[in-house]
Amino acid sequence: MADKEATVYVIDLGESMADCHNGRNESDLEFGMRYIWDKITTTVAASRKTWNVGVVGLNTDETNNNENREEYQGYENISVLQELGPMTMASLRALKSKIEPSSTSSADAISAIVVALRMIQTFTKKLKYKRKIIVVTNGESPIDDDQSEEVANMLNDVGIELIVLGVDFDDAEYGFKEEDKPRHKEQNEKILKTLVDHCESGAFGTMAQAVEELATPRIKSVRPFKAYDGPLTLGDPQKYPSALSIQVERYFKTKRATPPSASNVANPNGPPQTQVWNEDDGVPFSGVGLQPVKQLRTYRIEDSKAAGGKKDVDMEDLAKAYQYGRTVVPFGKSEEDYLKYETTKSFTIIGFVPMSSYEPFLNMGETGLIVAQKVNEEAELGLSALIHALHELESYAVARYVNKDKAPPQILLLKPNPAIEDDIECLYDIPLPFAEDVRSYQFPPLDKVLTITGNVLTEHRLLPNNDLQQAMSDYVDAMDLTEYGQDDDGHPAEYAPIDDLYNPVIHHMNQAIRNRAVNPDAPLPPVAEILTRFTHPPEPLLAKAKTEIDGLIQAAEVKKVPPKVQGKRGRKDTVKPLSGLDIDALLSETRPRTKKTPIISTENAIPEFKQILETAEDDETIEIAAKQMGNIICKLVSDSFADVLYPRAAENLRVMREELINMEVPTLYNKYITKLKESLLSGNLNGDRREMWFRWIVGGRLGLITQDESEVSEVSENEAKAFLK
Amino acid sequence: MSWRKDQDERLDGDEGDEELDENDYKTQKDAVLFAIDVSKSMLKPPQNTGDKKADKDSALTAALTCAYQIMQQRIISQPKDMMGVLLFGTEKSKFRDDSGNGTGYPHCYLLSDLDIPGAEDVKKLKALIEDGDDEDEIMVPSKEPVIMSNMLFCANQVFTTNAANFGSRRLFIVTDNDDPHAGDKQAKSSAAVRAKDLYDLGVVIELFPISREDKKFDLSKFYDDIIYRNPAAEAGQSESPKTSKSGDGLTLLNSLISNINSKQTPKRSYFSNLPFELAPGLTISIKGYMPLNRQTPTRSCYVYEGEEQAQVVQSETAQVDFAARTVEKSELRKGYKFGGEHICFKPEELAELKQMGKKTLRIIGFKKRSKIPSWASVKKSIFIFPSEEQYVGSTRVFSALWQKLLKDDKVGIAWFVARENAHPVMVAIFPSGNPDDEEANTPYLPAGLWLYPLPFADDVRSVDHVTAPPRPADELTDQMRQVIQNLQLPKAMYDPRKYPNPSLQWHYKILQAKALDEETPDAMDDVTLPKYRQIDKRVGGYLAEWKEMLAKKANDLQNTRAFKREFEEDDERPAKRAKPSKKAASGGGGPANSNADLKKAFEQGTLGKMTVAELKDIMASKGISTAGRKAELVERLEQWVEENL
Repeated sequence: MADKEATVYVIDLGESMADCHNGRNESDLEFGMRYIWDKITTTVAASRKTWNVGVVGLNTDETNNNENREEYQGYENISVLQELGPMTMASLRALKSKIEPSSTSSADAISAIVVALRMIQTFTKKLKYKRKIIVVTNGESPIDDDQSEEVANMLNDVGIELIVLGVDFDDAEYGFKEEDKPRHKEQNEKILKTLVDHCESGAFGTMAQAVEELATPRIKSVRPFKAYDGPLTLGDPQKYPSALSIQVERYFKTKRATPPSASNVANPNGPPQTQVWNEDDGVPFSGVGLQPVKQLRTYRIEDSKAAGGKKDVDMEDLAKAYQYGRTVVPFGKSEEDYLKYETTKSFTIIGFVPMSSYEPFLNMGETGLIVAQKVNEEAELGLSALIHALHELESYAVARYVNKDKAPPQILLLKPNPAIEDDIECLYDIPLPFAEDVRSYQFPPLDKVLTITGNVLTEHRLLPNNDLQQAMSDYVDAMDLTEYGQDDDGHPAEYAPIDDLYNPVIHHMNQAIRNRAVNPDAPLPPVAEILTRFTHPPEPLLAKAKTEIDGLIQAAEVKKVPPKVQGKRGRKDTVKPLSGLDIDALLSETRPRTKKTPIISTENAIPEFKQILETAEDDETIEIAAKQMGNIICKLVSDSFADVLYPRAAENLRVMREELINMEVPTLYNKYITKLKESLLSGNLNGDRREMWFRWIVGGRLGLITQDESEVSEVSENEAKAFLK
Repeated sequence: MSWRKDQDERLDGDEGDEELDENDYKTQKDAVLFAIDVSKSMLKPPQNTGDKKADKDSALTAALTCAYQIMQQRIISQPKDMMGVLLFGTEKSKFRDDSGNGTGYPHCYLLSDLDIPGAEDVKKLKALIEDGDDEDEIMVPSKEPVIMSNMLFCANQVFTTNAANFGSRRLFIVTDNDDPHAGDKQAKSSAAVRAKDLYDLGVVIELFPISREDKKFDLSKFYDDIIYRNPAAEAGQSESPKTSKSGDGLTLLNSLISNINSKQTPKRSYFSNLPFELAPGLTISIKGYMPLNRQTPTRSCYVYEGEEQAQVVQSETAQVDFAARTVEKSELRKGYKFGGEHICFKPEELAELKQMGKKTLRIIGFKKRSKIPSWASVKKSIFIFPSEEQYVGSTRVFSALWQKLLKDDKVGIAWFVARENAHPVMVAIFPSGNPDDEEANTPYLPAGLWLYPLPFADDVRSVDHVTAPPRPADELTDQMRQVIQNLQLPKAMYDPRKYPNPSLQWHYKILQAKALDEETPDAMDDVTLPKYRQIDKRVGGYLAEWKEMLAKKANDLQNTRAFKREFEEDDERPAKRAKPSKKAASGGGGPANSNADLKKAFEQGTLGKMTVAELKDIMASKGISTAGRKAELVERLEQWVEENL
């Protein structure tokens, strides 16, 4: 966390690191760098000034380190590639260019460790640091183990953790042993292992395991935040001597982690002037030179006298206001405070409810954790008694919570945890809804069907019969995950517990960003398997439950509705009011329409248009109706003062489109909309009508009717897209 | 699929990059026009029975009061939705600007045009109800009956012009007359035709009949020809209008409010036609809703008060670089901060990065309900309900699953992507019981399934910093049980309907007072405050005893600990000195970790001699903020010691 860190990586760049071993198609160096780049980029991503990284090259062609003085020996071919300091993209790029295999293989790994040790010592002095040396080598170059014990003592004195990760080093615990290992390598492994064993804090492992573990997402730890520190009361201690007050502290138990967020950036020099950039390239995507852009806010009001109907106003002339419906109510600075409900910091219990009365889906957000104030015996015993009593009575407390003065009150449900879920005694709290947060939505019951006449049916096509109920029950039982997983010892355990659920977006995004930082030209990495593990039911379980699944499918008899039920044409299921009155007959009586001359009024366009199409007997009638509707739309647009009539025109257009699809005459619409587009964009409809086109037609998806929407259309998806551009 | 019907409620502003399309958003809006009958019988005051609780309102007053209350309520809960009030059967006629009686719609009086309600509308209604202030003689019934077809066409025009593209448009007719055109077949037919127009326009008619003096409201006489089945209603939903009346201890007003309220909120879906993969090879379709959603005050805006009327200011933003040069949209890139620079991706790469599979709800298995940890909460749940639109048979399969989960206390575990490009989550699927059941936990919520978002491992905070070792239950526990048992909430449940949000209520109370030029209230009844007097009365005795017991036990514990600590410290000190590595850190008088040491150091004024690292360690262990310079740290620690030790 916010602790200061000093980590030095010792990377073997020896000749042999360029070779591929053990069937890998990447060199030992590339293999090892997978681990190192992951670690280093994670550090860069955290962008903490207090996390310092240094890099020492082992087996470099040159020699460049402070220990290589005349009085010492064995420090040849060791180079400091990067001094300890915070890691940036610039240093990352510089480092990357230096990671190349050399043509040497004579340097001593322990000497390199000493170089790293001195770097840390000089850098961190006696200050509080987390000190670490990470060595990556394939153990091919000779090591002098004369002083390894001494080195270990020095490491311990300075307080450095030593991690040695060897390419193809044997690791019994992980279960790896290299066949036909050369003797010198075996020897070197032993020396390094002994060195690590001498260290108070150290680790020795094989690279394969380290690389494998990279796949497990690392969760960013967050410094605990105390959201509340004060009394939890029952009753009012200021008014009633009997009232109870326990000093508590409240922390977050859950808090939603968010994916990294992007900001708008641009090249400060503007787009390149000289060369014509093609559409794909555009502004370069690499990060160099891109600068964040700022938002410049301007304020405008409508003013019929000003050019363009709008006038700029100064921020200083503005007052803050709140809307009461469509009425704008200005509030001065002093008045504004009055809108805030006056509260004082408090946390007080309203009452208690049985656990069984609570449904988890009532929760409105993140969980808190409440413990007694530290070093306060009264609070400790008091809260403990409350927790135990709630637990024994299977009850929850409901409390009103104001985290600081003037903050809006919340209602929290307090759940007892007598060290069962977390290994501590605490209350968990979750926020509950207020009256305003509940919307009364009506839904029909799921276990019976009510008919319009008020009868109750328990057998109906919308209700499951006994077979389906049984099949569902068998299926649910067969797919039980409660003990489907395995714990570390191979015992049955819960499958997909929360500890195993990683946020796929966060980790995939971070992975992609780190990858791009190291290899700007590489394509995106695939989504790691560990992130997609729980997107589907586990295969073996599915295989086991095959009978139940088949049974369920059979009993369910679910049928997919074909993507396009054919148009309305020819179908005679007319709509009737509750009484069943033959409204169509009545319509043809009251609105007699001579064939071929239907008349649609502007005021009642939509109903009349629909009614004509419903009874239309030939294409000509449809055509005439569509033409009239088209004229009405054009008239609405050209009569519109600014955008006043646009919504109405758009609605007419939408109905026209929908109905003509139903009537299977998409061409009629497509022809019309093509003409309309032209008129709108060319200003033929009494002024600038581009907004009608862009906002209402493009935005409302009222473009050409495609083949997907109507089989008889000759317009492809791409044509329709191009049309809207 | 037309875009209009896809009334998805894209409320999830926290989903990051998803921007609301203005058009899409508009279509989800709701418009309600109240059409209230003004007739002699509607105006007739109820019979005086001498009972104090009896109705005092005429049916018309009740209807107007209802509209008034709902208007205020909608301003708070649906600030973007429209509402209007049309009176019919009035002697006077009014439609927008034309106040003449010749043209337009005789005996229809458009009291408030369909719009987002404003202060004037609220005032107008209030004046009619409270002050009986009817200077304009609006509430005078006409001598000749109103022609219903006129009223319906008037409503048609109001919707056509003011809410042309609203996703939900409803006409609420409030009347006590079940047969406005008795014997006039022609008029009845005209009304039926105008009703069909409304149906074709997409306006749903909701009837709120009022019955007085035990006269049954007979739908078959007229209204069955006017009302259509709501095409948007769920399969299996039957809806015959509920008649409002006074009696059974319920005033007419309450009865009417309850009936209208149940229909008032437009049912907006959060997503529709989402495939629900129950098992490989078995998919049904569902719709999603958010019956629980945190309501917050509308955000403030800026106004320009220069002209005669305050005008809302529109703000526009331009992207500029550090040299204040305007940056074109085509130059903009999305960059992720990384090591002092920005890592960029192409737009198609960005899209690919966020794409984690198609939109779906896919069951991966089932668990016992108890397996979901009680703390596992991060976000509100989404309600799902079957839809037959894509898969015939969805409802019965859904129902079978719902019944099974309810019966066996199980939950489904599923992978859930609400929309294309939405962030995926793992959810637990919980069933909610029938709201009508006597023992229902949530009588205010519908029966169905709920998608309960599970936290990811990333969302769980470590609790390592907390020390609260388990303790055994003791007499204090027993005594506390008495307290808990005596302070159960009414009906042994938390019913959110009983707890309005005090800060929200206050905000709108003040806002309303200012908007309507009323006196600003200086206090409000906050029902979220505990009933202190009752607590004292019911459990004061237990609490007093308990506190006495606690004080004693705490004292004992303190003494044991102090003794133990001294004992251990005596024992440990030489050992500590032996470790050379710790020597440097201990500096002056040894790390003052124990409270006794701290107090001593405080009294001797030596806290300042500790290093910053030591100070921070100690302070972190006490839960004190460790931010700031050394002097601030010392000061804070001194203050803590003073207050706590």
